[in-house]
Amino acid sequence: MDDYKFLFKVVLVGNAGVGKTCLVRRFTQGLFPPGQGATIGVDFMIKTVEVGNEKVKLQIWDTAGQERFRSITQSYYRSAHALILVYDISSQPTFDCLPDWLREIEEYASNKVLRILVGNKIDREDREIPADVGEEFAERHNMYYLETSAKESDNVEKLFMQIAEDLMKQARTRDLPRYDSNNQTLDGKTSTISDSSCCSRLQ
Amino acid sequence: MDYEFPKEFDLIVVGTGVVESILSAAASRVGKRVLQIDENDYYGGQWASFSLESIIKSKHHKKDYGGNESETNLLRFGNDLVSLKNIAHKFHMTSNNTLEEETDKIENEEQPKENKWTEENLLKLSRKFNIDLYPKLQYARGDFVELLISSNIARYCEYRSVSRILIWFNNRLESLPCSRSDVFANTKVSVVEKRMLMKLLTSLNDKEKHVQNYENKTFKEFLTDKKLTPNLIHYVLYGISSSSDDTSCEDGIEKARRFLNSLGRFGNTPFLFSLYGSGEIPQAFCRLSAVFGGTFALGQQIQGFSISDDKFKSVTLQSQTVEAEKLVLNIENLPARFIKSDKLEYISRCILITDRSVLDSEKEHLSLIFYPPTDGKSFTTVIEMGFLTGTCPNNLYLVHLIAKQNTSPQEDFQHVIDKLFASHVEETSQEKPSILWSYYFSMPETNDIILSDDLPNNIFVCPGPEIDLDYDTSVDKAKLLFEKMYPDLEFLPRAPDPEEIIIGDDNEEEESTDINEEDHDKVINVEQEDKENVISAEQEDKVNVISAEQEDKVDQQ
Repeated sequence: MDDYKFLFKVVLVGNAGVGKTCLVRRFTQGLFPPGQGATIGVDFMIKTVEVGNEKVKLQIWDTAGQERFRSITQSYYRSAHALILVYDISSQPTFDCLPDWLREIEEYASNKVLRILVGNKIDREDREIPADVGEEFAERHNMYYLETSAKESDNVEKLFMQIAEDLMKQARTRDLPRYDSNNQTLDGKTSTISDSSCCSRLQ
Repeated sequence: MDYEFPKEFDLIVVGTGVVESILSAAASRVGKRVLQIDENDYYGGQWASFSLESIIKSKHHKKDYGGNESETNLLRFGNDLVSLKNIAHKFHMTSNNTLEEETDKIENEEQPKENKWTEENLLKLSRKFNIDLYPKLQYARGDFVELLISSNIARYCEYRSVSRILIWFNNRLESLPCSRSDVFANTKVSVVEKRMLMKLLTSLNDKEKHVQNYENKTFKEFLTDKKLTPNLIHYVLYGISSSSDDTSCEDGIEKARRFLNSLGRFGNTPFLFSLYGSGEIPQAFCRLSAVFGGTFALGQQIQGFSISDDKFKSVTLQSQTVEAEKLVLNIENLPARFIKSDKLEYISRCILITDRSVLDSEKEHLSLIFYPPTDGKSFTTVIEMGFLTGTCPNNLYLVHLIAKQNTSPQEDFQHVIDKLFASHVEETSQEKPSILWSYYFSMPETNDIILSDDLPNNIFVCPGPEIDLDYDTSVDKAKLLFEKMYPDLEFLPRAPDPEEIIIGDDNEEEESTDINEEDHDKVINVEQEDKENVISAEQEDKVNVISAEQEDKVDQQ
């Protein structure tokens, strides 16, 4: 059976070029696209993982390039369950921008959102931010911390699995609504706000 | 930030309001290279939503217009004709000592107790407010909702249906009977009236038949001729068709039909509202534009643009000049020399924060209230939002008032405010909500603004919000402009769902195609689950309404 118990929205933010899209593609498709520009037409990627014996679906949203000029839409943050803030360990400016990102997150994201700080590109030889500096920053701001390499596939799986597990725990304790495939009687041809199975009868 | 823009685009869009954002999305969607910029550091322009603090601070108009055109040969964006006017805000709580003493104690609590609201308390909750400059609803079966669905943009927003519609009648607020079940549940309407009303509501669908003989008459005359009782005329004229005494028969019927057609799709009323405020709507289109390659930059210093040989050529930003084939800009950004109209109509706006609903009840979180015209005052639309709309904190209400401007926003709404609200905290009565904060302004009606003939034909101008409750006029405008810009291209075809997109190596492709169809279903399910809280709770109710109405239609035939 290809159903799942939970669906979580995970969003990535951080400066342009820190490897957000690479992390997503490494995790969802096992690919590392070198020199890859923005991907046209892709809104979010989906991957179903297993935690315990339960299937969990992660809907992972990328910024669509709007971070470049600080123009991420507020709705991007709305209803996110987890938020991954990424910087590049070989680029001081991407680390220096973290407080700006936190301000934006605090403004628009739910205060219950699970927040993870990720230092990406640990395959690089020219590290500028020592791991303990990143860790200390994360601790100070009440975030999880992880260093990854999308290129070498280091810790990428671990990052998303950790998120899935934590969100599962949260969901259980908070009793979030569970997905029940038997309830779906609606025609899926339209979209979110439509339940056309009863509307179409009217036409 | 030190990124540079590419030197050339197909289209530059200046402004991030609804109409220009729809155009941006539509152009990106068909593969045009789009740059969309805004001088504001927020999305939406006159369509934006603000936190309490930011709406108070915001000036809502541009600092500097024109001036040094000759020096640089650049035309400056913007004019002083169409900015918001008469802005006035005020906190209505009197600061008294007991309240101040109390502040320390309540610091750790989520909400202060009743009547303990202070300016500080409200400002502390500033971010929980999403205050629309111009709140908009959406007809459940209107052009706009159809566009959201057909283009797959609906996934960027969440929606709530308007939970009830009230109408001011006989000096009190009453529920507007709009569906058959409402009509029958209504105790104010006699049995004979019920039958009359149902007959009218079902027969309005045949518009052609009605309009004959009423070409130059008003909707009110039409209803009177139908021998409806004054009660019913009130409900139909001011409620269902939200018309005035002078609305033409044709318009009145058209409006009533739109209302009736949208019943029964979501919830008990014909209207939807975007969760977290109307400011989400332009952003949804911007997101789509970005997903399809559009470049976005807010908070840009724009020096101006250049025209040569009667054609728009380029936009000059702080340190860079960017060329494009076409320019789309909102009316706020148009230089005054291209605006022909010298006198504008205005919409009076008032926004209130109150401490309770105008008509308390357990589950009402989004009320639409029609206040019919009286004594020379315009028809006033009131929208009251509770915290489940995502626009204000728990235990508070955000109230929007909208009317065609007669004199000034204060004068235009005084009679409504006197009736619905207690004016000061001290004189709190048991029934009426107290006003904690008020914000008044005039918004220009720019939809019918006349542009000068020498506007280059590769510049396209988008209006701001118009007085209609919904977005359908804006969608029409955007479609019209798009057709002029790209006559042979499709307007916002459906965007693929994530699982339908095949990315990566060729050997990946096979697998992806296989699971494609199956996965497609899943996406939809996923989305539906997301919406579960918002919509499905209401479904049961709705089905009843629909079948009841269908029966009736059949009866009529």
